This record gives sequence, structure tokens and C-alpha cells, in this order.
Amino acid sequence: MRISKGALLIVIAFIAPLIVELRTVLAWVNVELTVLESVVLGIGLIGVILVWALWPQSQSNGTESAETK
Amino acid sequence: MNIHTYEKLWLVAAMVLIVGFIATITYGSVGLGITMVGDQQDTVEPTELDDERFSDPRVAQVGENEYEAYVTAQMFSFQPDPIEVPEDSEVTFYVTSRDVIHSFSLVGTNVNTMVIPGEVAEMTVEFDEPDEYGVVCNEYCGPNHHNMEGMVYVVPEDEFDLTELDAEAPGEVETGDDIDVTATVENRLLDPIETTVTLEIGNETVSEDVTIDGGETDETTFTVDSAQLGEGDHEWTVTVDDHTDSWTVTVADELEDDDADDDADEESNENTDAGDDADDGENGTEDETDTDETESDASGGDGE
Amino acid sequence: MTNTYIESFPAEAKVVRAAFYSSFLALAIGGLFGIIQTLHRTGYYRFMDSADYYTVLTAHGVLLAITFTIFFLVGVFTWATTTSLDRPVEDIRFTWAWYGLMVVGTVLTAIPIFAGFTDSEMSASVLFTFYAPLQGHPLFYFGLVLFVVGTWLAGVDWFRSWWAWKQEHPDKRIPLPTFMVLTTTLMWYIATLGVAAAILLFLLPWSLGLVESVNPLLTRTLFWFFGHPVVYFWLMPAYMMWYVMLPKISGGKLFSDPLARVVFVLFLILSVPTGIHHQYLDPGIAEGFKFIAMTNTMFLLLPSLLTAFTVVASMEHGARQRGGTGYLGWLKALPWRDPVFAGMALAGLMFAAAGFSGMINAGMNINYLVHNTFWVVGHFHLTVGTAVALTFMAVTYWFLPQVTGKALWNRSVALGQVVLWFVGMTFMSNAMHRGGLLGIPRRTAEPQYDGFEFEAAVGSVGELDAQIALGGALLTLSLVLFFANVVGTALNSRSDDLPANEYADTLSGPSDAPLVLDNLKLWTAIAIVLVIFAYSFPLLSIIERGGLFGPELTELPVHIGLGLEYLWATTISTVTTASETVVALGAEVNW
Repeated sequence: MRISKGALLIVIAFIAPLIVELRTVLAWVNVELTVLESVVLGIGLIGVILVWALWPQSQSNGTESAETK
Repeated sequence: MNIHTYEKLWLVAAMVLIVGFIATITYGSVGLGITMVGDQQDTVEPTELDDERFSDPRVAQVGENEYEAYVTAQMFSFQPDPIEVPEDSEVTFYVTSRDVIHSFSLVGTNVNTMVIPGEVAEMTVEFDEPDEYGVVCNEYCGPNHHNMEGMVYVVPEDEFDLTELDAEAPGEVETGDDIDVTATVENRLLDPIETTVTLEIGNETVSEDVTIDGGETDETTFTVDSAQLGEGDHEWTVTVDDHTDSWTVTVADELEDDDADDDADEESNENTDAGDDADDGENGTEDETDTDETESDASGGDGE
Repeated sequence: MTNTYIESFPAEAKVVRAAFYSSFLALAIGGLFGIIQTLHRTGYYRFMDSADYYTVLTAHGVLLAITFTIFFLVGVFTWATTTSLDRPVEDIRFTWAWYGLMVVGTVLTAIPIFAGFTDSEMSASVLFTFYAPLQGHPLFYFGLVLFVVGTWLAGVDWFRSWWAWKQEHPDKRIPLPTFMVLTTTLMWYIATLGVAAAILLFLLPWSLGLVESVNPLLTRTLFWFFGHPVVYFWLMPAYMMWYVMLPKISGGKLFSDPLARVVFVLFLILSVPTGIHHQYLDPGIAEGFKFIAMTNTMFLLLPSLLTAFTVVASMEHGARQRGGTGYLGWLKALPWRDPVFAGMALAGLMFAAAGFSGMINAGMNINYLVHNTFWVVGHFHLTVGTAVALTFMAVTYWFLPQVTGKALWNRSVALGQVVLWFVGMTFMSNAMHRGGLLGIPRRTAEPQYDGFEFEAAVGSVGELDAQIALGGALLTLSLVLFFANVVGTALNSRSDDLPANEYADTLSGPSDAPLVLDNLKLWTAIAIVLVIFAYSFPLLSIIERGGLFGPELTELPVHIGLGLEYLWATTISTVTTASETVVALGAEVNW
């Protein structure tokens, strides 16, 4: 784990406002996403984050020790 | 007091932001002339709106391309509805309430004001392109608040008029008598209009060209020989531009006295409202305007 | 032996607990009404008559904006004074008395509101703002008065504690939490004069038939005299939590005590003379008065921007204490697993977004575009609905063990709850803001019209509705989890292994703060002068124009069969077509 489970959950939650606002922002440059495309994009992003968070090492709990102080 | 350097920087940046906001708002007011609804208008009595403006809610022309719209809001409607104004016009709305607090808000634009009983909201709006705007009440005003709506139609110059048509004819005549159909046409614009008053009755069409000065009323009377129409019910229609008024005249060999009088009375009373489908019995003065004809594309939603 | 609040102040803990539970009850009912409205407005599920929507809306507004928030904050403030002064309340009977008065006031207010659902003639579907000439049952106004008097007495209680403490510690600075309580209370005293005048002088006598009429603009202005500062009454306890709890939970100290005091002093001074910014579009108030209110409002941004700095700086300090490094890397070292921290951090983040939409609202002439649209609803669901409510729910997870002596039922559920709230509110408030820009009005049971349709710039209105319904559903689920934790904790047995009752130390302590900051008389005097400056001329002008008791009004007592009398304007057929439109809209959704 690169980040703690708690932080991972927060990062994933933060995808919601990103995706929701992205639609409006992209419409400014004439890119109109459908709801389905947004959902797919959101799931994709979450997938990428999960891979990033879990990929390198699942054995060490390096950063988690910081949380338990 | 001990303030961290970063915090000082932040403080300065915050003040700059605040002053910047105030400056942009001030520019909007002074530079762009976006004035606020204010206290320009005197108060009124909400229960007896008998002044010249609100006793007859309507659109009136006050100058070249300048109009005034006197609007009342009440549970759960606006008057007049719809409101029709020409393109490229400057319209000053005067809005007041007969009962509770409402709003008068053109959907998707910044034409928006509270409507408070006793107070008159004044707002000047420039309409450029022909368009149509929904009007909502966006302040809760009672159990049917959600049904309170209206329309503003901005119509092309050449389709716009402030003409009032009112035609009258007897309801029943005896065969051989003349039928007098009188069309009263009021031109409430400032400029004169040239138009044609047309009467269709039976298979006949008669018309007369008229010129009506601004603010004047013209009466045109058509005389039709009932013998030519023959016995029976005959529908007649008076048309001026796209305003129409129609009713039926009955030609009978012998008038039955009792009925005839009553009917005639009733009919000539009702007859003023005859051509008017859009109106739900409100006493708006734009009643005769056939709004369906003047609809343009429904692309509303641009900021005004 | 632990050092929890209930160990140190067992009697006070009971009152605080009672206040919290009262607030949670209001939250439960108000939240239930929230999802009902969400589904009704969007047209997904309408089981009641649309006229009843406004009764639901009244209850939702009063129970959440007044009852939930204020019951919670009197609990927090009682905790803050007793803890930071380290002394029990002067007379616990007095404390119970004001709590009791608030309860009685709430019940009396709720009776006519809920009677609106029955066939009885009693009703008060006048919404949270109760604008005349809409008239509620006298009991509604009377209950509100009792409730507010209860809060006044609560303030007396906190001041008594401070005065007694000052006798014993004449040379000490006011402890920061107590300072915050006192400044907020002073602001509340000034603010509530407006609503007290509106109700006692005008609305209550009018609803009792003692006076014929009222001046609708006057009572409305007096309402907003109170109506804006009341949002700071909700917000100040949340700010207090961000100042005194968040740094501690982050693992560090508050960045600056003096700046925290400055912030609260600014709120005391500037909260009240801004209310007219809710009346930018009111006829009868001169543009100049609106401009003054706008300027004051913009300067109110300052304390909030300062808070943003201090809170983030304190969190960074905490993170670095926990071993965080790097420009942004320290963020990873924060205790995200802790629902108290995560909830407050997410609430703060959403408050930043709320600040931006608030700046739009505050812009006098920009306000034309958004005034009374759904945008405003989106805005205050980020402020009171998230910055305040989510902070309150998050700190509940810290407070519950303190006031019950029992361990929190489930920390993971708690974390899930705050995250769900954040996500749900994201969906809901985003769609509300965007809907408002299309001109969709607030406070309406059926924002679907016959003559026209709202046109979305991005997506469709159907998508916005779907987004609102999704958000509302997530928020409801979040509330269910919250109550599961509250009930679960209450059912737990007492625990000996609980965190101590402490709040954050400061990096830059009170000795750095100039003494003048603690001069409450001075700041109160300045606040009053500013209020007189901002309000005397508008009020005089309104009275001069419309009279003290206003023009003759059509009698519109909402509590005697208003619905039937005025149904002339609409017909069954319009209702039917409207609901058909809704079905059509619903069918378009391709979520």
C-alpha cells in the first residue's frame, strides 16, 4: 500500500466532485460527455488509483504506521 | 501581535480579493449600468390597485422603442399573460402584488425581482432578438405556488402592434333588415398604423382600408343585407391583421319577441370575448392578441 | 479512571447529551423530509399532494436549520465553557431550565407545522422564513419565541460561568473556546433582536387578530436582520471545532490563537449588518443600502479566508508532527482513517466550494441571475448542510464517548458515513447549482411548467434530476449509518479506555494576542454601531414608505382553509398535465 486505507477511501471519494465538475468544464471547450461516459471515466480513474495504491508492494504497511502513531 | 509571514501574505491577498470583488460589482453598477431594483416607485394599496397602471395591467408604448409593462402578480397567476413586446425594445416593467409576496422572474435571464404587496418593483430590460421566455414565481406564495407561471414573447417588429379589436353586431335580425357590423379598432401605439378591416360573413368578404393615428380609435361599420344571406345562422368574422373577433347572426323570417331580446342582449355582451381562446377569463387587455401566430424559435435561455 | 468529560462534569454531560439527542431527533425527522422532497420535486416518487410539499418543506427547514443546529451548538458551547474554564456550570437547575424552555418552544412550533398534514384548521406552512402576509398559527410564532428565549438564557449561563471564573482569575486571558462562545453569543443577542421585534411587535399580534395588518417589507427586513447572522450562529461552532479540535486530531497544535480571536471578533462585528444582501431584489429598499450590505458581506469573506489558512496550516503542522514530509506529501500523513478528522476535513473542503457560490450570491448585480433559484439551495446545502452538519456529525464521533462514557459503536461505519455524505452532497448540490443557473426556482413542489421548459447547457434537466435523487439517496443512507452509530453507542456498556477530554494547544498562544481582543464590551459596542449604521436608515425608510403596520392586506391566514379559497386559479387539469410532464421527464433519464 502506498497510502493508508483511510486516505485511499478519501481519494476515491474525491473522484466524485472531479468527475461531476469535469463535465461542465469540458463543455466549455465543446467536449460533451454523456452520463455513461462520465461513469466509465470515473470507474476508470478509480481503477487507476487502486492500481497505483496497491501495485508496488502489498506486504509492507510503511505509511500505515504513521496513522496509528 | 505575532503574525506569521505567510499569514500576512495571505491576509493581503484576501484583502486584494475582497476589494477586487467590490470593484467588479461597482463596475457592473456604474460602468455597465446594471441598477438594482430600488425604492424609485411610491407605495400602492395592494387590495385596491386602482391607479392608471395596475387597474388595467398591460403593455404601453411610451416612446420610440420604449415600452412600459404594468404587471400584477396574484395567487397564482400573472397579469397580463402573456406579455408581448417587440424586438429591439427597451421595456420598463412595473410589477406589484395583489396579495402575498411573489416574484417575477424571466427564466434563464437576469430579469428577476421580488414582488412585495404595497411596493412596486421597477426594472428596465432591453430585448434584442425575437424570443420567448417563461416567467416563474420563485417565492413560495401558497399551496399552488408551483402552478404560477407566465410567458413573455419578444416578437419581430413587423408582427408587433398594440391593436385592440372589438366587433359588434346584432344577434338576430329579421329577413330583409340590414345587419350592421361595427368594428372598433384602437391603436395604442404612438405611431399611426395603416391596416385593413375585413368582414367575412356567409360567402361574402368586404374590407376597408383604414389609417388610425397613435392612441386613436376607429370605428368601421359594414352593412350587410340579410335577405342576401338568407334565413338561418350565419357566422361572421372581423379581422384586423391577426386579431379576429367573430360571432353568429341569426336571420329569421319573424322575430320571436321574448327570446330575441334576451338573446340579443346576451350575445352582444359576450361577443367581445368571442375570439379569445388563450385567456382564462382574466381581464387582461392583451386578450385579443393571437400569440400563437407570433411565436418564434424557442431558444430561450440566453442571458439577457 | 479516564479523563472523559462525563468523569469530570457528570451533571453537565447529561445536559449536553440531552441537547445532542434532541438535535439528532430533529435531524432524523428533517432528513426523512429531505428525501421525500427530493423525490417529489424531481418527480421520481410523489405520494402526497403537492400542497403538502410546503408543509414538509417548512418542517425540513425549521427542524434542520433551527432545531438540529442550535440544539447541537448549545451542547458544544456548554462543553466548551465548562472544559476550557475548568469549572462546572454555576447552577445546573438553570442549565436544565433553558434546555427545557428550548424543548417546549420546539414542540409548540412543531405542533402547528405538523397539524398542516391533518384536516384540522391549524397549520403553519409558511416555510422557515415565514414571510407575511402568509400567516401561520399563533402557536408557531409563540414556540419560536420560547425557543429563542431559551437560547438567550443559555447565553446567560455561559456568561455566568465566565464572570465567576474571572473573579477567581482576574489576570488570565479568556481561554480560546470560551472566547469563541462569548463572542458568538453576543452576536446572537444582537441578531435575535430582529426576529424578536418581527414576531412580538407584528406577527404574533397579527396572527392573534390584535392588529389588522403588517408591513410585509418591514417584517421581511427584520427577519433577515436575524436570518443572515443565524447562519453564523450555526457556523461558529463548526469553526470552533475546526480551531480547537481539528488541529488536535491532526496530531498538532492550532497555528495561531490571536488570529482565531480576530476571526471571531470580525464575525461579531460584521455578521449582522449584512442581512439586506438577502433582499437585493426587494423593491422598496434603496440601492445605496444594498450596496452597504454588499460591502459588509464581502468583508465577511476575510474571517473565512483567515480560517482557511489557519485550519490548513494547523493540519499541516499536525501532519508534520506525525512524520509527514514534502510539499503535499504531508497530506498522506493525516489520520484519514479517523472519522472525526476525515469528516471535518471534507466538510472544510466543501465549505471552500460553498464560499465560491456564496461570493456569487453576494455580488449585488450578479445576484439577479441566481436569486431564489435552485442555485441558492445548492449553496446552503454546502454551508449549513455540509460545513456545519458534516462537522457536527464528525465531532459527534468524538463527543459521544465523552458524554456517554461509552466507546463509539463502529469507527469504520462512521468513516463510511462521512464519506457518503461528502459524495452524496457533491451530486446533489452540483445539480442544484446548475439547475439554478437554468432558472429552476427553489421552494417549489413541481418545477415543471406548462408553457416552457428549462434548457440545460450541459446534459439535460432529466440528468440533473437524476443526480439530485442519487445524491439525496446517498445522503439518506449516510444518515441511517449515523443514527446506527448513535444508537449503537448508546447501547454499548461503559468503557474505561476512552480519549481524554482535551482540545488543541496553540503554536502562537494567547500571550501573542493584544489584550484589546478580549475587550468584549468594545467589540459589542462597535457591532451595535455598525448595525445602527447599516439598518436604521433602511428601517426608517421602509416604515416611512409603507407604514409601521403596512397597507391593508387581503386576509391570508394559512391556517384557515387557504387552499380551498384560492384554488380558483388552477384546475385539476393543470396538475394532471404537470405530473404527465414529470413522467415524461423521468422517462428521458438515461442514467
